[in-house]
Amino acid sequence: MNSAPVLHETYGQRLWRHFCADSFARCSLGIVIALFVIAALAPFLANSHAIVRVADGHVTFPIFLSLEPIEWRFLLYVLLAALIYFSRRKFRTQPQRSLGVVFVYIVLVELWLGFSHPFNDPTNDRDRPASFKLLPPVAYSPIETTPDQFVPPTWKHPCGTDSTGRDIAARMLHGARISLSIGFVSQSISLLVGITLGGLAGYYRGWLDIGVSRFVEIIECFPSLLLILVVINFTGSQNNMFCIMAVIGLTSWTGVTRLVRGEFLRLSGQPFTLAAQAVGASDFRVIVRHLLPNALGPILVVATFGVASAILIESSLSFLGFGMQAPTPSWGDILSESRRYIDFAWWLAFFPGLAMLVTIMSYNFVGEGLRDAVDPRLRVK
Amino acid sequence: MTTYLIRRTLLLLPTLFGITLLTFLLIRLAPGNAALLKGGGGENGGRAMTAEVREQTIKLYGLDKDPLSAYVDWIGKVFRLDLGESIVDHRAVATKIGERLPLTISLAGSALILSYLIAIPLGIIAAIKRGQVVDRSISFVVFVLYSIPSFAAALVLILLVAGGDYLNLLPMYGASSINASEMGLFAWVWDRVLHLVLPVICLTYASLSYISRYARVSMLEALGQDFVRTARAKGLPERLVILRHALRNALIPVITVFALELPVLISGAVIIEQIFSLPGMGQLMFQALEARDGPVIMGITTLAAIITLMGYFIADILYVLVDPRISYQ
Repeated sequence: MNSAPVLHETYGQRLWRHFCADSFARCSLGIVIALFVIAALAPFLANSHAIVRVADGHVTFPIFLSLEPIEWRFLLYVLLAALIYFSRRKFRTQPQRSLGVVFVYIVLVELWLGFSHPFNDPTNDRDRPASFKLLPPVAYSPIETTPDQFVPPTWKHPCGTDSTGRDIAARMLHGARISLSIGFVSQSISLLVGITLGGLAGYYRGWLDIGVSRFVEIIECFPSLLLILVVINFTGSQNNMFCIMAVIGLTSWTGVTRLVRGEFLRLSGQPFTLAAQAVGASDFRVIVRHLLPNALGPILVVATFGVASAILIESSLSFLGFGMQAPTPSWGDILSESRRYIDFAWWLAFFPGLAMLVTIMSYNFVGEGLRDAVDPRLRVK
Repeated sequence: MTTYLIRRTLLLLPTLFGITLLTFLLIRLAPGNAALLKGGGGENGGRAMTAEVREQTIKLYGLDKDPLSAYVDWIGKVFRLDLGESIVDHRAVATKIGERLPLTISLAGSALILSYLIAIPLGIIAAIKRGQVVDRSISFVVFVLYSIPSFAAALVLILLVAGGDYLNLLPMYGASSINASEMGLFAWVWDRVLHLVLPVICLTYASLSYISRYARVSMLEALGQDFVRTARAKGLPERLVILRHALRNALIPVITVFALELPVLISGAVIIEQIFSLPGMGQLMFQALEARDGPVIMGITTLAAIITLMGYFIADILYVLVDPRISYQ
């Protein structure tokens, strides 16, 4: 199934080749990317305002007026990431100039968002007459209540409506951004803590190592959900997305720490590390330029599984009433509400449950594929 | 061996100390603690307290002491198994937890046993049929199960088999029926079992998938060993090769994962008890969190962490006892 190994293949290329050989992993990566696109475009997929509206000879774009600053930020930064990806060659040839452009872009975006005010227009474009209008696929906004309560899935409401007539499809599309951003931000925090602590412990060993290892052991004794619930409850950070991200990140770094420590212990005795130290490289340089790149594969694997578990934890928290609460759309919150109407409103439980299953499963499959690609010994073949 | 046991036991002490210190710091120094001073607790504490009552409350719970001596006080009591009094109803925390513990233990315990009973055969079959359709389908199903959030599964199961528009085979919530006190012993037990079927299923399937994946890898490793080849070479039937030679060796690491599953099961029980309205430790935890009942929260968190710590300890000891190849230095 694998093509013949190519000479002069970089580590990344080899990982990619092995990863792509696994069809489940490939499909799951596709789903993960699709989820990202959905999250980035959520306001354009589900919105009560029209994308383009022509009335009285005027052409307007009402949807852009309704975007919140955070939605603009999300959109513009995703755009920035895409631009960076497509002009990555420029970055290699002219790093300073490219970084300058990125900096100016960020400053402009922030300045503009700082001075602009969102135009809150409570009317919707569904019923407003116009000679031409292009509505988003789901023509409801996630927090908009309508008189149609508990409508089962129909063409108008593909996933039905809830007790206050909010469209579930719109809430789910917008909820995807909460799930994904909490997954990624909290995992970045836990990577930062984990790599720092694990790296220090594995590189310097001695008392530092003993201290860090004990600390990891202590944290791991607490059932994670209990710990998170206690911290969220006592810091009063319910319904505050950044606090929830921080709490999840700060309680889930133990796995990364143990892994990085192990990798660093293994790598720091190897000839290339000794060579770097012998030519006088500073500790920081050895850690960042020599040890970290060599440990990157396994770290990536742990991080992928970590995103899946962070998404799961966030939805558990919302479900239990400790995470994001209505009207903020969150998958866990929709499920939580469904408990009360479970006798008849199956769609309230089914769709968010399915979304969670698909998301978490895709991340787990991607993680599994990565693990097999990183560690060829485990490959079944 | 004795030296190892002693050393391993001594290693428990710093961790135990860390667990209690962390719990104490979390609850004592958290900013939310101010709410405790203002009234009976969090959101429902709207009633104003007179200065006198507040003084008394502060004194009663040792909140006037500096954190260090308060910690020493608390830990001294913990070692005498006195977890303090609940702020809500002034009953001993140990008693409150004691009432709730059996249900949670039976829930988590039966889930653990059940998942082992199902996971090990699954893992063995997958390992024997490595790479074949059977292996692939088992691995896939197990992986899907692993990714289903337990609360979503619980809701779907309730919808399908407990009440709802479909089947009405099992009770929807609670640990026993309303008229449980009038039942005979057998009827009471049967009623309890019926009430626990769904919660146990929801807790089991996730650990089951984790353990069976672990069992598969472990079995594959054992099947590749020299002694398995020897067993086959001397003409033993394949059944005996697998059950007598490979399985026994493969089981060693699998048995010890139970320690890793303990915190997961406790976390899971918290959610499941909440969904099925079971009066277990998880539900007590929620009531305590809502009322900001510090002593109860501290008690439950410490207890859960100590249970896990004991799990790790037993797993380590078992590992050394069962496998003579491991040097316990």
